[in-house]
Amino acid sequence: MATQAISTSLAPQKRTSLKVYFWRVANNYVLRRVIKALATIFVVITVTFFIIRLMPSNPVDIFIQEQMALYNSSYQEARDRAAALFAIDLTAPVTQQYLDYMGNLLRGDLGKSYRSQGAGVADIIKQFLPWTLFSVGTALFISFTLGVALGMVMAYRRETPLDYVLSTFASLVSSIPNYLIAIIIIVTFGSQLRILNIAQMRGSISPGVQPGFTLKFIGDVLYHAALPIFVYVLTTIGSWMLAMKSSTVATLEEDYVTVARARGLKDSRIMTSYVGRNAALPLFTQLAISIGFVVGGSVLIETIFVYQGIGQQLLKAINQRDYPVMQGIFLIITVAVVFANLLADLLYGRLDPRIRVGSEETK
Amino acid sequence: MTKTVLEVKNLWVEYPARRGVVQAVRGVSFDLCQGETLAFIGESGSGKTTLGLALVRLLPKSARVRQGNILFYQNGRVQDVLALSQEDLRQFRWRDCAMVFQGAQNSFNPVLRVESQFYDTARAHGMTGTAHVKQRAIDLLRMVQLDPNRVFRSFPHELSGGMRQRVLIALGLLLQPQVIILDEPTTALDILTQRSIIEVLRKLKKELDFSLIFISHDLSLAAELADRVATVYAGTIVEIGGVYDIFERARHPYTQALTHSVPTVTGDLRDLTSIPGSPPDLIVLPPGCAFHPRCPFATQRCKEQEPPLEPVGEGQFAACWNWREAMNKT
Amino acid sequence: MMQAQAFYARQPSFLQSLSQTLKLLARNKVGFAGFLGVLFFVFFALVLPIFVPIDNQTRMDKIYAPASWDHLLGTDFQGRDVFSQLVHGGREVLVIAFVTGAITTFLAVVFGSLSAVLGGWVDSFIMSLADLWLAIPQFPVLAVLASLVKLNNVILLALLLSLLSWPTLTRAIRSQVLSLRQRDYVEAARSLGLSTRHIIFNEIMPNMMSYIAISLIFAMTAAVYAQAGLAFLGLISFSDNNSWGVTIQLAWTKGAIFFRDSFLYIMAPVLAIALFQLSLVSFTRSLEEVFNPRLRTGV
Repeated sequence: MATQAISTSLAPQKRTSLKVYFWRVANNYVLRRVIKALATIFVVITVTFFIIRLMPSNPVDIFIQEQMALYNSSYQEARDRAAALFAIDLTAPVTQQYLDYMGNLLRGDLGKSYRSQGAGVADIIKQFLPWTLFSVGTALFISFTLGVALGMVMAYRRETPLDYVLSTFASLVSSIPNYLIAIIIIVTFGSQLRILNIAQMRGSISPGVQPGFTLKFIGDVLYHAALPIFVYVLTTIGSWMLAMKSSTVATLEEDYVTVARARGLKDSRIMTSYVGRNAALPLFTQLAISIGFVVGGSVLIETIFVYQGIGQQLLKAINQRDYPVMQGIFLIITVAVVFANLLADLLYGRLDPRIRVGSEETK
Repeated sequence: MTKTVLEVKNLWVEYPARRGVVQAVRGVSFDLCQGETLAFIGESGSGKTTLGLALVRLLPKSARVRQGNILFYQNGRVQDVLALSQEDLRQFRWRDCAMVFQGAQNSFNPVLRVESQFYDTARAHGMTGTAHVKQRAIDLLRMVQLDPNRVFRSFPHELSGGMRQRVLIALGLLLQPQVIILDEPTTALDILTQRSIIEVLRKLKKELDFSLIFISHDLSLAAELADRVATVYAGTIVEIGGVYDIFERARHPYTQALTHSVPTVTGDLRDLTSIPGSPPDLIVLPPGCAFHPRCPFATQRCKEQEPPLEPVGEGQFAACWNWREAMNKT
Repeated sequence: MMQAQAFYARQPSFLQSLSQTLKLLARNKVGFAGFLGVLFFVFFALVLPIFVPIDNQTRMDKIYAPASWDHLLGTDFQGRDVFSQLVHGGREVLVIAFVTGAITTFLAVVFGSLSAVLGGWVDSFIMSLADLWLAIPQFPVLAVLASLVKLNNVILLALLLSLLSWPTLTRAIRSQVLSLRQRDYVEAARSLGLSTRHIIFNEIMPNMMSYIAISLIFAMTAAVYAQAGLAFLGLISFSDNNSWGVTIQLAWTKGAIFFRDSFLYIMAPVLAIALFQLSLVSFTRSLEEVFNPRLRTGV
């Protein structure tokens, strides 16, 4: 829309109307939000770039140590191997490295991993990100919808035993760290009770299963993702339930709900379009924020369940000081968070007509 | 008057509270005729709103209707509101009795357009055919002096308070109910908007034949709209009668005090008096007549026995032991 | 003299106000349970270590021993007593939680109220910074930053943790101050010409005590989450002292999960952290009652 405004304005109009169009574009809410999002991404990349270089030790040293420990080789041997492997100059000034990195980034080049036989960072992300997006996305969807539904049940049945049970459950699961719940599940149901075959459930897919739109593949993917998803759901659902409950209780007090009842609307209609929709509105912004939180937390969960997603790759990269991979994963997580926030902002205007989106509607 | 459309018999409503039981409505009886406007006036906290809510069974969950009957007469059929099943009650609401609430600002779902709220209402009552509903809605919006083209597709927040109240009145008429309850329909609106709403109501009354229950603390509005007026004090009707009788020949000391506490354009400010004391505590009511602590005519009997409503004139009833003294005093 | 006596007579004694506070705490059962839980962990982590010796002795014959009278929770992969590790591993967790919570809350209160009271460019600057900060992937950045923390530098870790967690709380405090600013008594104070400082500290802050206290607790739980998580990933290590997170990490990486006898070994620190978190969260319910007079009288 914004570009249309420019292109139509450029050719025949006089200067004044060009100015008008300029202001209309500059004041465009969507455009402003997009620019802000891009600026945020830029700043976060910069900050994380320097934080990463601040880390003690470097990829070469770590590699040398690993080689010495693994093959009992002498320091000199390991050094030679490292020199052959790492075609990088870590002695260049950090600012120069930064400018090079940003230049490459603008060309869409995320760089190459220092390890993993110099695989491209973009390829690594392409390989591992879908698994994280799949597990985290599914979990957030389940947790949000189920949490919102249960929260409404709690609000409608407040002060009943059902409400007490659900409230207790919600505050219980939302106050225990997710990785502890993961450990408890593995230790209790895996090694103690032997109900779950943890060894078999590791990874994101069983060896030998061919990707494709087959029942076997989908079943296998779900089998491996089940535990991470379960833990994500269990540890996030509580806060959705509690937030939705208090939001619903507040909405039930609203005049328009009483009026809707006086209008003889069916209870189901009031519950969905009058109470539910209004009560869930404030939760959508939280949903965007929680995406970042859950993706960040995937470092822990994927490590525990040995689920081959982006979080596990990040931990590996951190331990190996694989700067380009770390940087690339940071970039992708940041983009995901910023994009989710942007989407939530823009979507919120659609869901809540009271929020004006776009300059043409402001009078 | 013609046929009766609503009859309330000995209605009692109470709420449990921490300090005790709030007696919000105590033994209220009245009837309403076809095409008639009955105004309930009284101070805030006198139980008027509870009474209005009870008529369509919209009381808060904690409230209890201890006793009484609410009978709606329609086409020779009698419906006891308190005995309706949930589904029958749902259908009864708005189709037979619509209620326009105070605080119009919040009466509409903020995320739905005005049109959807009309369609919602129609659909809930089995009115199908969008075109038909739309036509009727547009007619009604025009009747309440709104521009249907602008209002119908609007979201509630795009309308002013006065416009929203008029939309709600139009919505109230959508299903052609026999009775409409207006609970403080003009509070929170400025004086000019109040006027135009009252005008709209008068016009509608002339064009469409419905009965109106008008709940207000604003006596001048009641005086303009009502055929009959009932004064409510401490959850009970203390006087009821024709609008002229109530404003000119009030028999109950409370009604007298009320009508004298409002300035009139023609009247002198010297005639203006306020009612001493404060409204009664509905949990611990004074024994006898609830008004006696504030009443200039109170006698020993008033402190001991609660007076019943008795005829004090043509179609006028008052609940006061000393109404004759009060009448002579003025 | 007389005046002084009269003055003191009106002041409740320390014991009286203590019992008053306890009564208020006990009003909410869940909250009181949380309070007792927090007390228990303070005792467990700060007092009990005086009586329980550190056990650093390797016993090759007792590796992964089950629970017994000698070793209440069994032994670890080197045959060391798990109970002793548990007792000595709590201090770090509690101290970091509290210091982080305090720093975070302090930053949030200062920035949040400055932002709300001063408004203008200060407000937009602080809020933009907070927005930006929230876009940084918190835990991953922490994982990188943790490598900067040398051994058991509690304060540095606490600073890092609070540096990352201030924005959410700052925004919350800001909106609280903004809404309090609108209240009548603040308007009244302003129309009386009282100074901004007086208004913040005498009119607004006292009314935010419950909110601040609860924020402190939630900042503490976030700190426990991050600290134990980092320790579990082996990204921070404590030289001589153990911490619950480190115990879990060692149990995990040394394969204790495969030994049935080691159930208590690995579950004990897990449950310690989980119960500590739970106690903190439950405790907030009572705090609401203590600080909020309106809730106290009840409806």
